Amino acid sequence: MIPATKKWLFLKVSSLILLPLMFWFIINLVNIYDKNHQDIVEFLTSQPSKFLISLFLVFAYFFSALSISEVFEDYIQDEKIKNAANKALNFFAIIIPIITIFVIFNLNT
Amino acid sequence: MENKPLSPHIQIYKWHISSLVSISHRITGIINILAITLICFWFALILLGESNYEIIKLFLQTFVGKFILIGITWSFSFQMLSEIRHLIMDLGYGFDLQTSKITGLLVIFGSLILTILIYLIGRGLN
Repeated sequence: MIPATKKWLFLKVSSLILLPLMFWFIINLVNIYDKNHQDIVEFLTSQPSKFLISLFLVFAYFFSALSISEVFEDYIQDEKIKNAANKALNFFAIIIPIITIFVIFNLNT
Repeated sequence: MENKPLSPHIQIYKWHISSLVSISHRITGIINILAITLICFWFALILLGESNYEIIKLFLQTFVGKFILIGITWSFSFQMLSEIRHLIMDLGYGFDLQTSKITGLLVIFGSLILTILIYLIGRGLN
């Protein structure tokens, strides 16, 4: 399988997994955004929220890294700038979910 | 590949429903990941304690805060419907001009309806 096909398959599979997670996440965001500190901590530390948010973040950043790299491919001509942009994108797509998942798993009620 | 041609600049072509949905799909995708990143910072503030969290809570209760939340809800709604359209097209359906125009309109107007539904369901949860 050529890398482009592999990338396309990863994009499609991750988007399929992401759809129900996005729906669940946005409904809960609308629900909790004005709640007090204790209520939000309770939501974030409860199961299945903890598990679903972690899953959502991993797939959201994975999908975004793949799709934004397509935007770079379409609009950045300079190879050096494109590589640097892709490296920065991949770095943030790995580090932000890891830190956030660490935060969620360290919250106490 | 060196000197590979770039995608044409979007102002060259006459706007169609499909091109509007396509560029909006990309823009909402970028808005969503920026919003998710801000939400990650919000979660980190929660870990730092109640006083840090109160600043964000006060902001989210203002008109601007609520407008941003509804904007994010619309952006998520648009992205979800547009992604479903893309997945259906990947299966080989909806390529003729008329169908493509109808599904594009469904994404645009459906995202507004879905935003209202998500808001009502979300606010109804306790």
